[in-house]
Amino acid sequence: MTNWGMIIDLQKCIGCYSCMISCKQEHFLPPGVFWNRVIIGEDGKYPAVNKQIYPVLCNHCVEAACVKACPTRATTRRDDGIVIIDYDKCVGCRYCLIACPFQQRTFYTDGEKEYFPGQGLTEYEEIGRRLYPLETGTVMKCNFCSERIDAGIEKGLKPGTDREATPACVIACPTEARVFGDLDDPNSEVSRKLREEKGVQLHPEYGTEPSVYYVG
Amino acid sequence: METYDWMVKYTPQSEWIERRGVLLWLAFFFIELGAGIFFMASFFDNIQAMLAGWLVCAILGGGFHFVFLGKPARFWRIIVSSGWQTSWISRGLIFVSLFLILGLIHLVLTTWADSGVALLVVIDIFAFLTIIYGGFAMNYVNGIPLWNTALLPVLYIVSGLLGGAEIVLGITVASGEISSGIAIEEWIRILMIGYIILIPIYLLSTRYTSVTGKASIRYMLLGRWSQVFWGVVVLVGIIVPVAAIISSYAMGLETTPVAFLYTAIFSGLIGDLTIRYLILRCGLYAPLIPISGTQSTPVRS
Repeated sequence: MTNWGMIIDLQKCIGCYSCMISCKQEHFLPPGVFWNRVIIGEDGKYPAVNKQIYPVLCNHCVEAACVKACPTRATTRRDDGIVIIDYDKCVGCRYCLIACPFQQRTFYTDGEKEYFPGQGLTEYEEIGRRLYPLETGTVMKCNFCSERIDAGIEKGLKPGTDREATPACVIACPTEARVFGDLDDPNSEVSRKLREEKGVQLHPEYGTEPSVYYVG
Repeated sequence: METYDWMVKYTPQSEWIERRGVLLWLAFFFIELGAGIFFMASFFDNIQAMLAGWLVCAILGGGFHFVFLGKPARFWRIIVSSGWQTSWISRGLIFVSLFLILGLIHLVLTTWADSGVALLVVIDIFAFLTIIYGGFAMNYVNGIPLWNTALLPVLYIVSGLLGGAEIVLGITVASGEISSGIAIEEWIRILMIGYIILIPIYLLSTRYTSVTGKASIRYMLLGRWSQVFWGVVVLVGIIVPVAAIISSYAMGLETTPVAFLYTAIFSGLIGDLTIRYLILRCGLYAPLIPISGTQSTPVRS
């Protein structure tokens, strides 16, 4: 079985927001909607201050709370471990959004919102709305760039290794802080890194078994 | 919200209480109140009250729930999908639907003849499940310790039945059936004692479950919402109805001023509505990234 997962090296992350922007660009996300976020905070008191940078995204949990919460089965976990939303089935009850302890879901309400208010849609936004017809009144979140992974596999490419088949945030990272691959394959880079550097999950106490790990 | 604050402090949930989320708060309240009215009225064979309960649940509760959905026209998917296996929202809609359908059949049949005790027992089971599903739906959310406690569904059962009994008492008194009113009032006394005991137990147990639970309780009792809690939930929602209960216990229901009785019923419902609001409003998530020194104050989402 395949179980796609990601490791984020916090020592390598420089907080440049490339992942956040590349994700928006890849999915033509409307204003105010982020599937990838970079949280930057400071710990301690002067002079012993430590800057902390945490890129966060949907954890594609093995025991995803959102999947169990969804009353219409719009949110499902694929066989390869990617948690996806079928916008045509979503009724917009936001139970998944509430149930996600990582707060990684967004309820999309304003379909008319433009990047440049009052100036109409840019050509880029118009293309985006044709390619990714997002539905207002539904919930959305990171899909691990499943469209890139699926298309890549069809071409015989290997996600995590071949750029074309790898999530946009991973290939955009200038410091290679993100590693993507099959967690069930002991020989994949992501598994090796997880073993060697002892990756940790966010809030393991919730028992959702996130597929996104952090090292560093 | 500042990027620096985002998810490094306690974050109140907003989707189920802000903007259109207010509709869900009202939906849960009216659905449970309506089912509570029907349930209590069925014990006293009060058809008027049963009809009132059915209408409150169907029109107000169902209506608010329907309008709350982002895609209301797709609500049927909740019933036809297999979501009921794991989702409390799906189970809830099934319970509400069965309660309303069977309740309507009962109400129509009783126009001509007795529809039978068996049907009423089945309806009461679904009415009871309708009362509890909201509490279980919230209890499932383990990211919010204020909700993730087994006492929440119990509190909602007691408050749903108490609100229902209060309305049934109001209808009974209005129709001049004092003997039934005395029997209902005995139920109200028992439920009110349960309610008064449960609220502090619920708050105290949440206070000691986790650091985030403690922050939620502080937010409700000592923070931004403290005046609402002490003023509306405690004073209006508990002390005024308790005063009416003591008064009618001492003087007898028939000599208790009707205006005082209705004020107490209204106060009780306002208190119940308010505590449900506060439970939704003060539901805090733990910081996603725990960074010391930044967790003291909840951030506005």
